[in-house]
Amino acid sequence: MRALVLFLLIGLGTSFSQSGQASVEAHVGRGTRLMQDNLFEAAAAEFEQAVAANPQDPRAHFQFAVCLLALGRNDEARRQFEQVQKLAGDSRYLEYYLGRLDLLSNDYGAAIRRLGSVAENPPFPDTAFHLGVAYVSAGDVITGIKWLERAAKLSPNDYRIHYRLGRAYSSAGRDQEAARELDLYTRLRDEHKNNEKDVRDCAGALQNQPLPAAREVCHRMFDPNDPEKLTLLAQLYGDSGAFDDALDPLKRAVQLDPKSFDAWHNLGVTYFRLQQYAKAREPLERAVALRPEFYGSVVLLGATLYMLGDDDAALPVLEKAHRLNPSDAQTAQVLEQLRAKQQKK
Amino acid sequence: MASRGVKPQPRGKLSGLPFHAHFTDVAAHAGLRAPVIYGPPDRMDYILESMGCGVAFLDYDNDGWLDIFLLSGTRREGPVEGATNRLYKNNRDGTFTDVTEKAGLTRQGWACGVTIGDYNNDGFDDIFISGWPQNTLYRNNGDGTFTDVTEKAGLLHAGNRWGTGCTWVDYDRDGRLDLFVSNYLVFDFDKIPPTGKDPRCDYKGVPVNCGPRGLIPERPMLYHNNGDGTFTDVTAHSGVGSVPPGFGLTAVAADLDGDGWQEIYVACDSTPSLLFHNRGDGTFAELGLQSGLAVNEDGSEQAGMGIAIGDFDLDGRLDALKTHFAEDTVALYRNTGHLGFDDVTMRSGLGVETRYVSWGDGIVDLDNDGLPDLFWVTGSVFPEVERKHPEFPHKSPRVLFRNLGNGRFEELLEEAGAAIAEPHASRGVAFGDFDNDGDLDILIMNMNEPPSLLRNDVSGSGHWLKVKLVGTRSNQSAIGAVVTLSYSGHKQAQAVMAASSYLSSGDRRLHFGLGAAEAADLEIAWPNGTRETFKGAPSNHLITIKEGSGIVARERFGS
Repeated sequence: MRALVLFLLIGLGTSFSQSGQASVEAHVGRGTRLMQDNLFEAAAAEFEQAVAANPQDPRAHFQFAVCLLALGRNDEARRQFEQVQKLAGDSRYLEYYLGRLDLLSNDYGAAIRRLGSVAENPPFPDTAFHLGVAYVSAGDVITGIKWLERAAKLSPNDYRIHYRLGRAYSSAGRDQEAARELDLYTRLRDEHKNNEKDVRDCAGALQNQPLPAAREVCHRMFDPNDPEKLTLLAQLYGDSGAFDDALDPLKRAVQLDPKSFDAWHNLGVTYFRLQQYAKAREPLERAVALRPEFYGSVVLLGATLYMLGDDDAALPVLEKAHRLNPSDAQTAQVLEQLRAKQQKK
Repeated sequence: MASRGVKPQPRGKLSGLPFHAHFTDVAAHAGLRAPVIYGPPDRMDYILESMGCGVAFLDYDNDGWLDIFLLSGTRREGPVEGATNRLYKNNRDGTFTDVTEKAGLTRQGWACGVTIGDYNNDGFDDIFISGWPQNTLYRNNGDGTFTDVTEKAGLLHAGNRWGTGCTWVDYDRDGRLDLFVSNYLVFDFDKIPPTGKDPRCDYKGVPVNCGPRGLIPERPMLYHNNGDGTFTDVTAHSGVGSVPPGFGLTAVAADLDGDGWQEIYVACDSTPSLLFHNRGDGTFAELGLQSGLAVNEDGSEQAGMGIAIGDFDLDGRLDALKTHFAEDTVALYRNTGHLGFDDVTMRSGLGVETRYVSWGDGIVDLDNDGLPDLFWVTGSVFPEVERKHPEFPHKSPRVLFRNLGNGRFEELLEEAGAAIAEPHASRGVAFGDFDNDGDLDILIMNMNEPPSLLRNDVSGSGHWLKVKLVGTRSNQSAIGAVVTLSYSGHKQAQAVMAASSYLSSGDRRLHFGLGAAEAADLEIAWPNGTRETFKGAPSNHLITIKEGSGIVARERFGS
């Protein structure tokens, strides 16, 4: 029985069953998960349906607007954000997004006003970057440099920021600083390209070569000081079913960056796949603590607890998972069984 | 070549404004019926077979009518009958006569780029052709014939090279045209695996030809004109050779910062593009990144193919348009002065078009409304892919964006005639007024097909002015001059160039649409640094200006 339940639950993180009883919650839940996978077109379709189902729900308008912005449908995005403003009033998130839209439509004055109003308590770390770009585009290179410098401090590995900052220094005649920033940009960009190549090579090797040979190729990605790269390496192993090989990079990644949701979540998934449920529990609890609303982690934690026989702990977690994704019939089925079992006690 | 997976922006509502240019492909009627052979007709096993070549408008016999020079490739398995570079003489009646053999220009091989200019200042345009494995210089004898003087001129290089972009440029302002050649990559049929032999050479899950990534990039070269018919390789001394190797394609030369010295801008494929800033002392500093011309606004390099230079925003500064691979946008760079450029691609509305691999391009006023439009041709390098992915067709339409005059453009899909929407696998493009009727026609190289000659028939009431410059102290072709026209409150700059678009060379008579303006003031910055101004030049004329002698001819043609 538990094996059957496990089989059902394993697929839940990625399966999106089509419920005939579409609701705002269901559409928002599905849309959110699609957004997390960068599937913005599909996500936008879900949010659009959520908006149609309840035009008074500001969450649906907001998420729909964010998707539209990611898709470059800027005018539509603005209309949706303005709708949120009508329904829920101002917020720093709205100011941020409307400021970015102002920047994209060359209205630098408005972009500076909006982004500037939230820059001291920014909703997202790249607020300083967009504000810096707005100032430079408006011709105020000196102020633009100030914000781009702040952005570079916040995201020191983002080559885009160093490129813009280098160009701004160059415009201001600060040639030495320009050269320094552009050198840094070149180094970071090269690293980024090398990483991309390593990922392509590793994925290709895992797809086309025996595992021992693929390991040799993939080992280039094992940077013991880079948690993001280690997590990516583990994901590649995991995608090809080599879960044992994913463990070491992930264990190192969570040591290096204990706040990395991706690392904890993937470590939990890996242990779960290896059927080491006791070891899966802590990483999944850490992942859920970091992102309590992420359905994939919650449902997997529920499944883990269930497999450990801790039904009392599993029940509330799976109930939460069901709330996050009410349209998932499989979770509902497992919950029904658990509740029935609890009642028999 | 590399795609960046960029999705197109949604198209906005069209302006609904009429577009007064209408294009008809008259190539067959004009006698341009021979196909341009370039590799096998239905596949491209090697990158050399996929890159195609340029075309040129020139007036080789100085009769005032544009002739046509078409480059050609060949096939690996051996010579193909009829595959040769071709010179077509303009019969002045809308047709052309193939005079290749008579001119001594018959040649079969892998030609790539062409630059036209009078390197020996004898009054006749000479032809330089880049290619693999050697480049070729033809001296115009002035009697309708040409002589291959490559070896005599000192331009034969050791070993095999794949010369691509090439442009005449008087970089040291001594009045003689020097020569810049970009090189693409180290190519050898026997060392590069063909399609299907290397699993890493894959596009969208389909085996394709390999490169440029994974192959060995090259450096460009610069040759100084000694004034006695010979050239000296100054690549190292000038600083041109000190840049990291890249996959260099189209090269253009123009004075981009208005200091009187010409820069050289090179579109590089999948590596940062290069901007050689002319220091005025015979050396260059590579300032691609500093200027903003090396990469896009996100700091990402693109697959640079073609370059157009023009003044789309009418501020008197030369802007640039660079074409790229499919699933990416072109890049439109606005010149902000002091050798700084802003990438304004997305904010100008060009992000709606990302479907095609894009090549030869122009910033050209096609409808004479006084606002330079954008045009480019397209075509895949992987014909195999469309069988699995019809959304990546081998042959694809031409792309035309109309200038709305507010910093934004709109794509015209059907409004400019069927010849624009017709699909071809095109590469080089040249712009020029072959029928002398006061508008810009378009010559296009199509892979393994006859070329297209798009005759432009402009309606409406837009005026125009053409300017032909003749250098005296400067080089005779006036290559490197910049003409700034003032009309209706606008200020439009254009450069006299020896090459642009994709490996191509266009009409050196500068064509300005004037819209409603019936006259314009001109300022000329000659290549040697001197300036001249002329007031009230009447519209709808071709005026010829000789350096130091003023307007020496006025010719009224067109409607």
